[in-house]
Amino acid sequence: MTAPVKAMDPLDPPDTDRDAARLAAGWSARLSALGLSAAAVAAAFLLGGILLALAGANPFQAYADMVSGTFGSRFDVSLVLVETAPLLLIGLGLAVAFRARVWNIGAEGQLLMGALVGGAFAIYAPIGTRAVMIPAACVVGALAGGAWGWIVGFLRARWSVNEVISSLLLNYVALRILEYTIRKPLRDPVGFQPVSETLPDAARLPDIPGLRTHIGLLIGLGLIPVVAYIMRRTPFGFHTRMMGLNRDATEAAGVKTGRLITAVMVVSGAFAGLAGILQVMGPESRLTGNISPGFGFTAIIVALVARMRPVGVLLAAVLIGALTLGGDVIQRTQQVPRVLTIVIQALFVLLILVADKVGRRSR
Amino acid sequence: MGRDSDRPVPDHGLDQPNPAPLVAMRGITKRFGSVTAVTGADFDLHSGEIHALLGENGAGKTTLMNLLYGLEQPDDGTILIDGDPVSFRSAHDAIEAGIGMVHQHFQLVPRLSVAENVILGAGEGRRIRLPDLTEVAETVEELGRRYGLGVSATSLVTDLSVGEQQRVEILRALYRGARILILDEPTATLSPVEIDHLIEQLQGMAGTGTAIVMITHHLDEVMTAADRITVLRAGVNVATLPAETTSPLELARLMVGREVAMLSEVGEAEAAANRAGSTSAGVSVLTLQDLSSASEAGARGEHARDFFDVSLEVRASEIVTIAGVEGNGQAELEAVLCGLSEPASGRIHLGRADVTDAAPRELLDAGVGMIPSDRYRHGLIRGLSVAENLVYDRIDKPPYGRRLWIDPKAVAARGADLVGRFSIAVRGPSTAASTLSGGNAQKVVLARALGTDLQLLIAAQPTRGLDVGAIEFVWNQISEQRDSGVAVILITTDLNEVIALSDRCFVIYRGRLVETPLDREAIGLAMGGAGSRAEGVPAR
Repeated sequence: MTAPVKAMDPLDPPDTDRDAARLAAGWSARLSALGLSAAAVAAAFLLGGILLALAGANPFQAYADMVSGTFGSRFDVSLVLVETAPLLLIGLGLAVAFRARVWNIGAEGQLLMGALVGGAFAIYAPIGTRAVMIPAACVVGALAGGAWGWIVGFLRARWSVNEVISSLLLNYVALRILEYTIRKPLRDPVGFQPVSETLPDAARLPDIPGLRTHIGLLIGLGLIPVVAYIMRRTPFGFHTRMMGLNRDATEAAGVKTGRLITAVMVVSGAFAGLAGILQVMGPESRLTGNISPGFGFTAIIVALVARMRPVGVLLAAVLIGALTLGGDVIQRTQQVPRVLTIVIQALFVLLILVADKVGRRSR
Repeated sequence: MGRDSDRPVPDHGLDQPNPAPLVAMRGITKRFGSVTAVTGADFDLHSGEIHALLGENGAGKTTLMNLLYGLEQPDDGTILIDGDPVSFRSAHDAIEAGIGMVHQHFQLVPRLSVAENVILGAGEGRRIRLPDLTEVAETVEELGRRYGLGVSATSLVTDLSVGEQQRVEILRALYRGARILILDEPTATLSPVEIDHLIEQLQGMAGTGTAIVMITHHLDEVMTAADRITVLRAGVNVATLPAETTSPLELARLMVGREVAMLSEVGEAEAAANRAGSTSAGVSVLTLQDLSSASEAGARGEHARDFFDVSLEVRASEIVTIAGVEGNGQAELEAVLCGLSEPASGRIHLGRADVTDAAPRELLDAGVGMIPSDRYRHGLIRGLSVAENLVYDRIDKPPYGRRLWIDPKAVAARGADLVGRFSIAVRGPSTAASTLSGGNAQKVVLARALGTDLQLLIAAQPTRGLDVGAIEFVWNQISEQRDSGVAVILITTDLNEVIALSDRCFVIYRGRLVETPLDREAIGLAMGGAGSRAEGVPAR
């Protein structure tokens, strides 16, 4: 049962043991952990500024453009929140998995399966009312994502297959399945593009009043306290934290860790699947080959920057959602490539890992 | 490469009254933090001798040799080689000076051939071109023939038996020109036949002038293999004796120590009183029947950490001890008893129920308490609070919780209660367990295990690393359990603990149990394997 995955964990934020000890020590410690994240984010923006200058832009102007282009108007904010919604949902699920030290890199595939199965359900199920259709499609999407995650958990629990590898590879399997179905069985017969039919009106998400953001964001917001409660106040959450801190002791305490790993994968897959179907019912309105610009991967950064805390996931999802759109803005205004903002996102993670090491040494 | 063939004729140290030693370690002291591992130790090594370094776990044997091999640097004292003082900054320096060390855990790359393993890190790697492997293979096989260390230089290490892998380690040292060879617990993973071979080979090598240090705690091997024996106790060299003038009994006494023996007389009297006061042993609680962790065939050398044909019975109100030097199969036995691994054959009964394949959950629910030998790995979660640690094995059971929720008040109340009852020194039950000292950490483990009604207690190395006060506390807790009717199985390496607590004692040696009288010397001898010359006498 001892899976020698240690050396391969590319995301292993080292010593969550210590980290969690710090958090258990009380509020002041909790703030200092958040402070560490904040400092890392600030440093990443600083280094990003240098990169912007090297790329020929005025970094101050670029950042100012980013802020005004993402938070300057209600319309801009709406767009940021459209980006935020899937990152928030997937990030919540990944936060659970990463707390358990189950390294789910397959959220992208779980999202696609949720979108595909939930989308097919929404197109073909003869349900005419939104109040029934939307929740039903959400459940179907979440189940499909959960099932895709279950494969990973089962392989890990049964044969110690490294979940980093299996979940990563299943992303590509899911993408190919989606591409096939929109070319053959689900293809819109009247269109030229390989896309599905448009979803019926009953399956279109309404916008949040006053914003041009679909209500999927509200579902994500509503799930934050649910996840927080599960992690703190249920045996499942307790065992998940235990396993992340010390798997051997968890096993010796009578917890069936194989089953728990599978459950954790199903839960985080379900969150990604839910994000997938919401994308289809919200901004996309049909199944296409590029439903997700890599939300499942970006959400990994969200969960890590948030240090696997539910409220932190919200902050990180807004930040990274805004940064993604901000990239488009500065590409227009400063003529610098938008990928620079992805470099900044990568710097978040690198600097948080560094800050963790430094923080530990100074103790 | 290699050995210089015009080396002076080896002088067999013992034949001459006072030859200049090849290695002289003088007044060596090594501290790790507040612990002094080696205190002012002297150690001499002559060319052509096999010198056994004997001592209990933690006596400082390996540390002393790590200092000679440059892995650690002494805080005090000098090391002379051929009369010249040396100071090794790393193992590399020691290798240059002709010292080779074979560690207990081999450092070989399984997927590479013997010849490739031999040149790994031999200094040749620093050249851009690798040496010609065919030449290396020839040299290795030539060395093997010369010293009787036959092994095919082209086979892959992964295809070799443990005994053969050890030969590769020795050949690697010889290839690098070692004239001083240090072997750390060389027999720990070998089968009896392989041990005989190894001793023959070592004697052959000594015959050609190589000086050999053998770290061990197996008394009978020392008696057959060694020319001289140095006994370390608590980091001090208590004696260096020629093998022909000593006896296993004397060595056992030296290892355990006179002071300890005197201390123990008090302990023994107390223990005897304890036993007299306790109610006589009752119904059978735990029965092990021909329990083995591996089949005999697979055990040949490969899994010397396994145990075989273990049969014993533990009754209510008695403490049955399994004593033994580490690495004799007790860790695997502990894992099997705690439901963490499954035996290859045999049955385990708890009362009438067959629990051979039971998982920890079923055992805990049946009233089995566990004090794991590695408390930080199996018994404590440092990232959780003390209160959470005290209930984490029953968090989904009333009153602490149900399937879908946890009652933090009940958890906190239980925490406060146990912190008081076991006098755990913390600010409060919500303190992080990472702040606990060793003794208090063990009290948490103890409190969780003993805080409910038990029928069986499995206590493994319950006082390892604890200070005197904590040891006494743990001993009292365990004997209280016994007195209240619990069956206790105690796995320990500590002789004092055996004497203080046992009602009956078995010694585990190379995976087999031997029942031993409750006598310090008898147990010490059996732990060194001297009590069971006939390999595999099954114990009942």
